[in-house]
Amino acid sequence: MSLSAKLGYVFIAPALVLVAVFFLTPVVLTGIFSFTNMSTATGITGGAYQITPSLLRDLSGNGFEKKTLDTIGTESYQVSQATLQVAREAGSHLDLLSELEADHLGSNFKNRREFERFLKKLQNRPRSTRELKSTSPHFKKSLINERFETEIDLRNSLVEMQANLSEEQLNTLIQAAYTGWIWTTDNFHKMVILPETKQILFNTIIYVTFTLLLFNVGFALVLAIATFYLPKGQAGVFRALWLLPRISPSVLYVVLWKWLTWDTGFLNAILNPLGVAQRNWMLDTTLNAWFFVVLINGFIGASMGMILFSSAITAIPKPLLYASEVDGANRWQQIRFIILPQLKWPILFVTVYQCLSLLTSFEQILLSTDGGPGSSTEVWALAAYHSALDNYWGNLQYGYGAALALVLVIIGVIMSFIFLRFFRFQELVRQPRIEQ
Amino acid sequence: MEIILEDFTKRFGDVTVIEKMNLKIREGEMLALLGPSGCGKSTTLFTICGIHRVDGGRVLFGEKDVSRVAAQQRNVGVVFQSYALYPHMSVFENIAFPLTVRKENKNTIREKVAEIAELVHIGELLERRPEQLSGGQQQRVALARALVRKPGILLLDEPLANLDAKLRLEMRSEIRRIQLETRISAVLVTHDQVEAMSMSDRIAIMKEGEILQVASPTEMYQQPVNDFVAGFLGNPPIAFLNALVQDGKIDVLNGKIQFDFPRNAKPSNSTKIRLGIRPEHYQPNNPIQIPGTISFVETQGRENLYDVKLEDGSILRSIQSSAFGTIEKNSQVSWGVQPDQLLIFDQAGNSI
Amino acid sequence: MSQNFKNWPILTGLVLATVPIVLMYSYLVLDTVTDTKPGSIFPNSFTLEHWRFLYEDIEGKANIWQVTLNTLVFASSVMLLVLSVSSTAGYALSRLNIPFRREFLAGVLILHAFPSITLIIAIFLILQLIGLYNTLIGVIIVMTSLQLPLGIWIMKGFYDSVPWEIEMAGLQDGASRFTVWYRLVLPQVRPGIIALGVFSFLSGWGEYILPTVLAPANNVQVLSGYLASLIADDRNFEFNLFKSVGLFYATPVVIMYLFFQDKLMNIYGGGTKG
Ligand SMILES: Nc1ncnc2c1ncn2[C@@H]1O[C@H](COP(=O)(O)OP(=O)(O)OP(=O)(O)O)[C@@H](O)[C@H]1O
Ligand SMILES: [Mg+2]
Repeated sequence: MSLSAKLGYVFIAPALVLVAVFFLTPVVLTGIFSFTNMSTATGITGGAYQITPSLLRDLSGNGFEKKTLDTIGTESYQVSQATLQVAREAGSHLDLLSELEADHLGSNFKNRREFERFLKKLQNRPRSTRELKSTSPHFKKSLINERFETEIDLRNSLVEMQANLSEEQLNTLIQAAYTGWIWTTDNFHKMVILPETKQILFNTIIYVTFTLLLFNVGFALVLAIATFYLPKGQAGVFRALWLLPRISPSVLYVVLWKWLTWDTGFLNAILNPLGVAQRNWMLDTTLNAWFFVVLINGFIGASMGMILFSSAITAIPKPLLYASEVDGANRWQQIRFIILPQLKWPILFVTVYQCLSLLTSFEQILLSTDGGPGSSTEVWALAAYHSALDNYWGNLQYGYGAALALVLVIIGVIMSFIFLRFFRFQELVRQPRIEQ
Repeated sequence: MEIILEDFTKRFGDVTVIEKMNLKIREGEMLALLGPSGCGKSTTLFTICGIHRVDGGRVLFGEKDVSRVAAQQRNVGVVFQSYALYPHMSVFENIAFPLTVRKENKNTIREKVAEIAELVHIGELLERRPEQLSGGQQQRVALARALVRKPGILLLDEPLANLDAKLRLEMRSEIRRIQLETRISAVLVTHDQVEAMSMSDRIAIMKEGEILQVASPTEMYQQPVNDFVAGFLGNPPIAFLNALVQDGKIDVLNGKIQFDFPRNAKPSNSTKIRLGIRPEHYQPNNPIQIPGTISFVETQGRENLYDVKLEDGSILRSIQSSAFGTIEKNSQVSWGVQPDQLLIFDQAGNSI
Repeated sequence: MSQNFKNWPILTGLVLATVPIVLMYSYLVLDTVTDTKPGSIFPNSFTLEHWRFLYEDIEGKANIWQVTLNTLVFASSVMLLVLSVSSTAGYALSRLNIPFRREFLAGVLILHAFPSITLIIAIFLILQLIGLYNTLIGVIIVMTSLQLPLGIWIMKGFYDSVPWEIEMAGLQDGASRFTVWYRLVLPQVRPGIIALGVFSFLSGWGEYILPTVLAPANNVQVLSGYLASLIADDRNFEFNLFKSVGLFYATPVVIMYLFFQDKLMNIYGGGTKG
């Protein structure tokens, strides 16, 4: 291997590792996760085995005899080294425990009432009902709600119960008791049938179309062309002002919009004296919410187009412009026939680039309307975020969120490939001129 | 040090740019690599200094085969066309760089830089940055940097191309002076024949990756191996005239003019040949007269250049002192040549 | 630019469109040192009360200086990592003879436009798996990785414009490829380093989603999360306080921006000129 190749590998290795682990792997994992039912409930590292009352209820309709299920579902109270240990760790009264250990090891009780009655008769009995109630549960012995780390543990315990389970039933039961995540295509099924999907799809289209056309391309063009006609100093001021939203931390930027639209905010302070009722302009109606969502994102998005278009306009040879003026073109004609044709590629570029970033962006919406009012401004990317990382119910649906994100990832991959077309790739990979 | 290229072959992808080239640079000489754009001069140069690898053949420095030796270990000084001064370093740091990477001690470096700066006359510029220098000064710094570590050979890639006409003249003689003073072997790459002729001991002329002739400037001017070499050297350029060998004589203009074949080895009858006539050899007082009409006059100050159109449409050039006045366009003239000054080429273009 | 047309219609239009920005940002500064009667738009008294968060902790919130320190560590680490990794990788892709160079470059080109935020769910799960969830290091590495394709792309662009002759001259002068890169080439791409450095610092400083999702704990909170949690807290809703924290938060950004505005244009233009 040549010297420069060796250095090259050393130079590129850190980037490769980081990109592979935190960029490519997530792409693949998004695909993988979307075929699971991973959630807060299932955990992410695999699960345990647990038989719940509701599981038993479900099974009773499935060819399991009631008697069998009852046996599995019974609970008993037992004084054993294991239960004593649990009680000791939970901080139960030590004298009581010593007495139990010394005199009653191995005793069994059918139910809680019986066990508590027995406890009350002891020498070192609990002094209050409260203490009694808190002590007794430690001695409970039941399969119900107990976590088994492995399948074998659960199987052994079930066999021990002598519940007359056939091998087949045993397997069904164990499978149903698994709490970890499993492979499934339900996410996509759910995505197709849920009415919300249609809503967020529609929202996304509205959001991207309006922001893109009105601001990221439209207003960016206006800014670029307008500042082009202004003296340098003035143009600079406007460009700097319009970059402010882009560089401001987004949290702060959104706070400023909230201040503008809040119940006691600036808009109300101005409109109130004119007789307009006080309201939260950002969240009172769907229309207003959209208006501000587009504005908030548009003010940020306008700058990229502005910069690119400005530099493209500056690249137009000056004599061309002077000539057109001498020929008597008015400003509109100059823009229409000289400037706009030069901006064809930049416009296309910005449209594709910004379309992609708008499709997948949700930060500003999250911070401003958070999808509201209701879910009228909930866009696709925000829905993915909400279901997987932040929702009201606390049960985060990683699998479903990943499935939603996967749709965006696929769109992203496809559009990124389209992107390659914007660059003269052959030129970018010209052979190095030093052959070492 | 003597440098030898032996069957040197270079490919870029599937394009073979140079095939089996042989070239020897003698100890202490300045060899000019002359040729039109794209003929492979830079490629040859980059191979000698180790930036390119050979795809066949060998590069020898003295006895040693350096074909696989890295550029850093070859000890070759190079002056690039753009000078390639390091913009962020002062002139001193630029010149000292080759010594610093060799970890020489500070005092030695200072002495060596001062010495070389003296040689190339930039002693008072050492604190400046490259962008504060004129083109000629940058050129000198580049030379100093290439020479400071006493390389075995100095390579110059079109060193004068970026200078204006006056500086070019000055640097031409400066580079030659420095080369002679240091007695270093040097290769000068250029597509300017005047530069090649005036600065070098020998010229190697290249065309499409092939070396056509290696000779001293005078020899090459007087005895070019073929019409390409003859046409490449000389300004104003040589003119060619079709002729026929007939009974040991040369027939020009369909036999209107005839004279004896000036060499011993005469080609057989009816051989078509081309005569190469340099402007300084087509003059009023020469014996064999070839009449024509002046079709173009260019006044160059000291001299006048005339294009003379012959009756068959071919053009001869003549350069004459302007001291005797200028002859008008469209005048009929009957200037002549001297047979032994003629260059004679066969149909394939090779010299006879 | 052209003298044949009148400027005032344009100027008027632009000023009108820019009013919201000017309003928001001027009131941002104004409101931090004044009180305004409810329902009024003009401040009526001067006060430094809204800056009290600097010396006393807001109830239930982390200490502002701790949070600022976290943010500083986060943003500077991202900057340093992005710079060092992109400046080496960019050089390798621009100038060194590595196998698969084409493929690497195509990858960088594709990824630099790829919307990395869509990967947040998978990244969240990866961090949980490898135990870097809720650590500053975890977010730093993730943020760096996501910025790398753009960074490499930009650095490659800058390297491409360094003349080959400088490197060739360096080799002839006896320097190794590494020395050539470090001492001769790197100084030529300083504008790129500065632009990319400032850009990654600002991105790190302003980033909200990554720290919030990947490191939500109080002890690793950064300013974006701090400010967001202030606002989300219904108990003391006070815009002037938010703005003071916001101004405190944004000042370094604005100062850096004013200094490096020209250099940043390239990157905010999508890194396409490169
Ligand atoms: N890296 C390369 N890849 C492919 N072809 C190359 C490369 N470098 C040079 N060539 C080709 O090799 C041939 C010789 O190039 P070279 O640079 O040696 O010419 P040159 O004689 O120095 O010309 P000039 O006077 O214009 O500098 C040219 O046809 C050129 O196109
Ligand atoms: Mg060349």
